[in-house]
This record gives sequence, structure tokens and C-alpha cells, in this order.
Amino acid sequence: MDMLESKSELREVHWLMDMLQSIDVGLMVVDSQCRLAIWNSFMQNHSNRRPKSVVGQRLWEVFPEVPEEWFRRKIDSVLLLRTPAFTTWEQRPHLLQFPSYRPVTGAASFMFQNTSFLPLVSADGDVNHVGIIIYDVTDVALSRADLESANARLENLSRVDSLTDLYNRGYWEQRLEEEFRRYRRVGTNASLVLFDIDHFKRVNDTYGHPAGDEVLRRVSEVLKVSVRATDICGRYGGEEFAVLLIDTTVDNALILAERLRLALAAESIETAAGTISVTISLGISQLSADVEDHERWIDTADQALYRAKRGGRNRSVVHQTDSAAE
Amino acid sequence: MSHAKILICDDSSLARKQIARAIPADCGVDITFAADGEEGLAVMRGGQIDLLFLDLNMPNLDGYGVLQAAQKEALQGHIVVVSGDIQPEANERVMRFGALDFIKKPVDADRLHAILDQLGITCAQRPETATLPPIEVAPMDGLREVSNIAMGRAADLLARLLGVFVELPVPKVDYLESGELQMALLDVAGNEDVAAVCQGFIGGGVSGEALLILHESSYSDLAALLRHDEELNDSSKVELLMDTAGLLIGAFMNGFSDQLDVGFSISHPKLLGRHADIAALIGRNAETWKKVLAIEVSFGIENYNTSAHLLLLFTEESMSSIISRIAYRI
Repeated sequence: MDMLESKSELREVHWLMDMLQSIDVGLMVVDSQCRLAIWNSFMQNHSNRRPKSVVGQRLWEVFPEVPEEWFRRKIDSVLLLRTPAFTTWEQRPHLLQFPSYRPVTGAASFMFQNTSFLPLVSADGDVNHVGIIIYDVTDVALSRADLESANARLENLSRVDSLTDLYNRGYWEQRLEEEFRRYRRVGTNASLVLFDIDHFKRVNDTYGHPAGDEVLRRVSEVLKVSVRATDICGRYGGEEFAVLLIDTTVDNALILAERLRLALAAESIETAAGTISVTISLGISQLSADVEDHERWIDTADQALYRAKRGGRNRSVVHQTDSAAE
Repeated sequence: MSHAKILICDDSSLARKQIARAIPADCGVDITFAADGEEGLAVMRGGQIDLLFLDLNMPNLDGYGVLQAAQKEALQGHIVVVSGDIQPEANERVMRFGALDFIKKPVDADRLHAILDQLGITCAQRPETATLPPIEVAPMDGLREVSNIAMGRAADLLARLLGVFVELPVPKVDYLESGELQMALLDVAGNEDVAAVCQGFIGGGVSGEALLILHESSYSDLAALLRHDEELNDSSKVELLMDTAGLLIGAFMNGFSDQLDVGFSISHPKLLGRHADIAALIGRNAETWKKVLAIEVSFGIENYNTSAHLLLLFTEESMSSIISRIAYRI
């Protein structure tokens, strides 16, 4: 009876061992000196090293990419605390550098891995060994990366005006609001430029809407090369544009506005309907303590723009309480 | 000493009953109870208490407060601390504050009897634990006490690893609806960026997940304490978060599974929303569950602006298994 029982137990252990060998997960055991004790077929096949050739060696001797100091610390803490430790591919893409083995559908050049370090209790209750489990999470990592880039594309789509490639009004206003709050907090300089293409309706009426679109695109391109990388440009309305200038006084904003106005006035815009020249009018306002919110800030720039239009167009006007500077 | 007066001061009715039950009935002692430090101190001030069994983590006034007041006012009576907070520093502190002895929870009857002997409170018979009458205890209170002990173990490991004193609260145990859980998470997050690690666990009819939440501002202290020399960048922060989570969740779950006598299968940790809105992540799944049983523990580190929040969320179905396991174990 005992014989039979132990026979069937032996058979079960054999089955379990068989499965541990063929499971698609790396299994190895190291001792307190980080020397390898066993490893399963997954480890053998992915590293192309037979168990015999690695047993007794320290893990970093077999895999030079394993940082010795880091690995020792991990093993020591698992043995000391008797709690498991883990790594994810997000923190450390892999513990062991296994090349990708699926030539066609394996889109990464190496295997992304999650690992678990488990304290192993011996028969006498001591913990002198650590079991290391290696999971292949390449597909998870890649689909996460795909998802993130898709989300980034979607986010960009919802922020950007498709014709001009500038920020759309919604997102630009959001940035303006953030900058306004930052100003309230730290009190740095910030200026706002609103501008508008003079007599744009006439362009559309004379040359047609496709040519009008061409003009809008060209104005946006000139705008983009005239500002700094930190300035935030948006298409505010049909032919109205807005630029948020961070860390900029009104004097510097006026310099930028004039440079843009002169550059555009000198521009001959080639369209299918003919060559078109346009001018712009600009309103400038520096943020000051008496401005209650970001909408009032826009109002002040809008008032300056209105004065530029009334003053004969093709000019920059700075918002001031009493006078207009040109 | 005949008819010694014993006071048991603990916010957990389970802990109070466990201590009372361990005191043999034929000792001829009068036992009174207090449910928090303030109440306990009032009884002590009334005088005639020979021996106080005192818990440390309690609402209103904690055990340290009681010890200090008793020392200052030179109150009569010996004080023995009975606590799940097994950090070496906690032990040293209570002895410094005049405690006679320290017994770790769950209370060991032999240790308790040795103390009674030492004080000359003699009892003819010591009942076997198996023959003791069962304790009637409210499930939530039982779970709070089990959590308290598991929390103490986790804090002990953290304290030893970092060489610090870990400040422990009274664990919060409650049923939460999905909206309430989001509120609780927002409360934990405050106005700061937070990151969290989540690990699922299942075993013995009990299942759920453990969340370890860390504030962005805690990383630099943790890095210094763990002697991580590398510069703090995104991946070294994830490493810190993973190490802290592995330690606290691992130790808490060990303590929990020992007390409930369940071996849990624990999943690989999952990183949740770094720099993201955690409440939104939880909300995503809000339709699929109605109610969870939540245990919330905040570990603070003395003299550091660092805290880690551990949240254990159990499925509603786990509760009956938890209750019967607690009832069986005590």
C-alpha cells in the first residue's frame, strides 16, 4: 500500500516537474551568494546555456548585463525580510537580455520581462535561497506602447487646428488659463499678442476660399518661425491668431509683433489663384496685477487690436489705460 | 496580592476580550475595561488599579500618552503594554516611559501568566486554550485587530530596513461603495501627484487587491533612507515604489495570512497611473462592483515628510470567509 502510494506520489511529482520544464516562464534558484542552483528549460532555451554549464556560477558571471550591486541588494533584502520582491518592465525592461525569438511577429528586439524574487523556505525553516521567476511580457509592453502612441496622437488631434497646425482655440485657452494661474503664483512676466489678417474677407471674395486657406497656412508658417519654442501659438478664430509669450515684457512682445508684421507685409503668397499680399494688425497686452482672470486678459489685447484696426491697420498697438503706442 | 484590580485598555473589543480570557477565572481579580487612552487614564486617576494592560495605537489618547501622563502624575499601578507594534524602538520607548513589560499581540497566555506570577497574583489553575469559551466579537472589530497586528509586522520590517521609527495609526476598516472609495482615494492623494502599485491576492475563499500609494514628495526621503545612490529619475522612482510596495504589501499579507491561516496566491505587482488620476483609474471599473471591504493604513516615518498608504480591498464575497476564519482562530 505504502509502495503504491509513494509510486503514485512519485508519478505526480514527475508530472509537475514536466510541466515546470515546459512552462513558458523562466524559473531559477540562487543561494545567498547569488550562485545558480537550478534552472528550467525556458532558461536553458532562451540563454542557450545548459544547466550543467551555469550551476554554481554567480548570475552576473553568466549574464554580464545583470548589475552586480543591484542584484546582491535584491537577494539580500529578500533573504533578510522574507518578503517577495518584484520588478516590472516599466522600471527595468529586462533582467536578462534575451533576444526576440519570433522572427515575424516579435516586434521588439529583446524580451520585456517582469520578475518575482521569492524567499524559499528550506526543510529546517531557514531561508537561504531565492526563487526567481521570469515572465515574458513583451506583448504587454508593446501593446501598451502602441496604446500610448495612439493616445498621444488622439490627444494631439484634439488640440491642433488641422488647417494651420497651430493649437485650436480650446486648447490654447486652456494653456492661457494655466499661464494666468502660474503668473498669480509666481508673478513672472507674460504677454499676449492677438492679431488678425487685414481685409481677409476681400481675399476670400476675390481669390476664393482655397486661396484664403493657403494664406492662412502661410501666415501660420511665418508665425511659427518668428516665435520661440516656448511661445504658445493658436488659431483663435477664422483669420484671428493668438500668441502667448511666456517670461516676456511688453517691450519684447512689441519687438516680436513688429518683426512678424514686417515679415508678413514683405511676403508674396503664391496660390493657385494668383500671388497674394496681406498685412496684419496686432494688439499686445502684458499681464498685470489688476487683471482679474484670463478672459479679462484677452479683452485687453482685443481692445488694443481694435485700436490698431481703427488706427489704419497694418500696425501694432500696446494695451494701455490712456494712450496707444505705435 | 488578593483581589487585585486589573484594567484592560484597548480600543479593540476583541483584544480586550482576548486579554481578559487569558487571565484565569480563579485568580480572584477584578477586571475593568477602557476603550481608549482618555478613558483608561481617567480610571487610573481614580486610583486602586494594580495592573494596567495598555494598547499603544488608540484613538483620542494613545498608549504613549497614557504612559507619559502616568509617569508625570506618579499614578499607582504597574503598566504592561500589549501591542501589535513590534518595532524595537516602540519597545524601548515604552520601557523608557516606565512600562513594566511589553507583550506582543496576539497576546500569548504564558507570557501573561508569567507577569501575573511576577506581581504575586497567584492563580491555582490555568485553563487550556482549547477549553476556553469562544469570544463573541463584531466582525469589523475582529478584522481591525487582525489588521492592526499585520500592520505592526509590516512596520517592524520597514523600521528595521530603514533604521527609522514608523508612526502607526489605528487602521480604518469599513465597507465602501464605489463613490466612497473614490472619495477616500482623493483624500489620500490630496493635491499631490501620486503613484500606486496594485497586487491581487486570492486564497481560502478570500480575494481582493492591495494598493500601495506613494506621494511624489516621498521619493527623495525614501531614496536617501534606502541608500539608493542613483540619481532619481523615472525608472529609479518606479524601483523605489516597487521595493516599498513589495515590502509593505508582502509583510502585511504575511501577517494577515498567518492570523487567518490562509495561503494566498499573490499576483505580480501592477503599476497604476504614475502622475495620473488614481480615482479615475478606479472609476473605470465602477459598474462591475458595488461594495468592497476596505482596510486603510497610513505608515508615517518619524522626522521625515514621508508617508505610504496601504489600502486592502476585499470583494464582498470574501467577508463571510473572513468572519468565519477570524471566529475560528481566536
